[in-house]
Amino acid sequence: MKPLLEVDGVRAGYGAINVLWDVSLTVAAGETTVIVGPNGAGKTTLLRALMGLVPVQGGDVRLDGASIRNRRTWDSVADGLVMIPEGRMIFPDMSVEDNLMMGAFPRKCRKGWKANLEMVFDLFPRLKERRGQLAGTLSGGEAQMLAMGRGLMEQPRICLIDEPSLGLAPVVVDEIFRILARLKAEGLTIVLVEQNTNRALKIADQVYLMQSGRVALSERGERVDLDRLHALYFAHEAAE
Amino acid sequence: MNPRILVPVLVAAYLAVPLAFQSNGYLLGLIVAALTIAGIAVAWALLGNLGGMVSFGHAAFFGVGSYVSAVLTMKAGVPVFAGLLMGGVGAAVASIATMPALRLKGPYFALAILAYAHIFQILAVQLEGVTGGAGGLLSIPRFPSVLGVDFGTKLGGYFVIVTIVILAALAYDAIRRSTWGLALKAMHDSELATRVIGVPSTHLKAVMLVVSAFITGVVGAFNAHFINFLEPDYAFSGSWTVLPIAAAIFGGYRTVWGPVLGALVIYLLDQLLFKEVLPHGHQLVLGALMAGMVLWSPGGLVPVLVRRKGGRAHAHA
Repeated sequence: MKPLLEVDGVRAGYGAINVLWDVSLTVAAGETTVIVGPNGAGKTTLLRALMGLVPVQGGDVRLDGASIRNRRTWDSVADGLVMIPEGRMIFPDMSVEDNLMMGAFPRKCRKGWKANLEMVFDLFPRLKERRGQLAGTLSGGEAQMLAMGRGLMEQPRICLIDEPSLGLAPVVVDEIFRILARLKAEGLTIVLVEQNTNRALKIADQVYLMQSGRVALSERGERVDLDRLHALYFAHEAAE
Repeated sequence: MNPRILVPVLVAAYLAVPLAFQSNGYLLGLIVAALTIAGIAVAWALLGNLGGMVSFGHAAFFGVGSYVSAVLTMKAGVPVFAGLLMGGVGAAVASIATMPALRLKGPYFALAILAYAHIFQILAVQLEGVTGGAGGLLSIPRFPSVLGVDFGTKLGGYFVIVTIVILAALAYDAIRRSTWGLALKAMHDSELATRVIGVPSTHLKAVMLVVSAFITGVVGAFNAHFINFLEPDYAFSGSWTVLPIAAAIFGGYRTVWGPVLGALVIYLLDQLLFKEVLPHGHQLVLGALMAGMVLWSPGGLVPVLVRRKGGRAHAHA
């Protein structure tokens, strides 16, 4: 089957500092693709480059076979490429419900906002309880749920999720991963960037390991040997 | 718009003030001048509050609007009320020329647009064939009579400007309550976050600039037809930027009616009281008043009044 998203030899960075050297990977529709790697490997930069938030200097990015390299972020979002960013990036001075409504800002999402809001509240009952509360008063776990809910309001075809477990208590991490598993079961295509390798591998169909701006390992989820992955993960870092 | 606010405003604007002051030409003139400032202040606050941009260049939009309308009515025979709208359109077009400044943020935007304002003033001086150069334009046509009401009088002018100000405030309120208003509010929390979720933030800011310039241009055009005279130093005077900013901040620039109230209070106090006491340098008192307000209630006058009434701090005043 043709991949939904193709990353082909992408080079990207911030001004003079290059972060991604030659990254190629593919994301199949309906699958969960997990990208792991140490700090500074370029995982977040890759997601930002896919969204057009960081300029792609070389290579190509294709969605459904058509190039979306350096396309405006809002055009990509309208096309169903949605990012749930690292650090959540919710709007602290707005209510939970208004935050979710912001997710429905792209024109094609406005019509279905009511049904989508119900779907999000069904997935995250805690958000429903706190719908009128200012988002800045939420706990870390709730804020992550809000960021995910807002992303789902954007009616994603592919969801790029950046470190959803960052800084959360283990019990909350459990809940986040339960929800990811549910979204996956419902057929959502997910690209998950995680440092929590153990957890991420359990829901992975395809796994990529990134090291210093390159893909160091590409393997089907069920065939990944955790010990070998960890060895690679740390060995390369030590070698740098 | 909350009818509990809108109805009293309309009654005061169309009944109480005209009835009370129709025989006092001096006072009515001052009120018209205060409302002219109020119109710019609403436009400025719309850009500042919704667009998140502090502009030092509204005198440019005011001046362009006044010249466009004056020239079109005098030289192309355009009816005065149509000229009023064209003045707004002219200012909106001028704002497109200032859009490169949108790439800048905060004080850098403010200073860039201040420089732009100066460019338009120079154009008004240099394009002598059209604008009359430094000598200006004399006998700009008055507002005509419509359906038996003479808008060319002071009272008629009052009705025109008060309508412009109320429509501007209603437009501001409508934008603020729309999906766009929500997105603009979110942009203040984090512009990057709004981009991530697919909000064309640059476009939205540009639209706010155009809307703000349009309103300011209409107010400028009104002023030209009300005083029937224009010259570049006057039309592009820095006062058209400074007084509205002072009014908006004094009244509460995050509220819809704050800039209007601020303009009326500041301008009338200045002209009726401070000027009597201190014929020279009466603007000094305005500075002290501003400083006092910022210390006492940084949000301005309207939030204070809303709190006094026991209302919620979040009331949409």
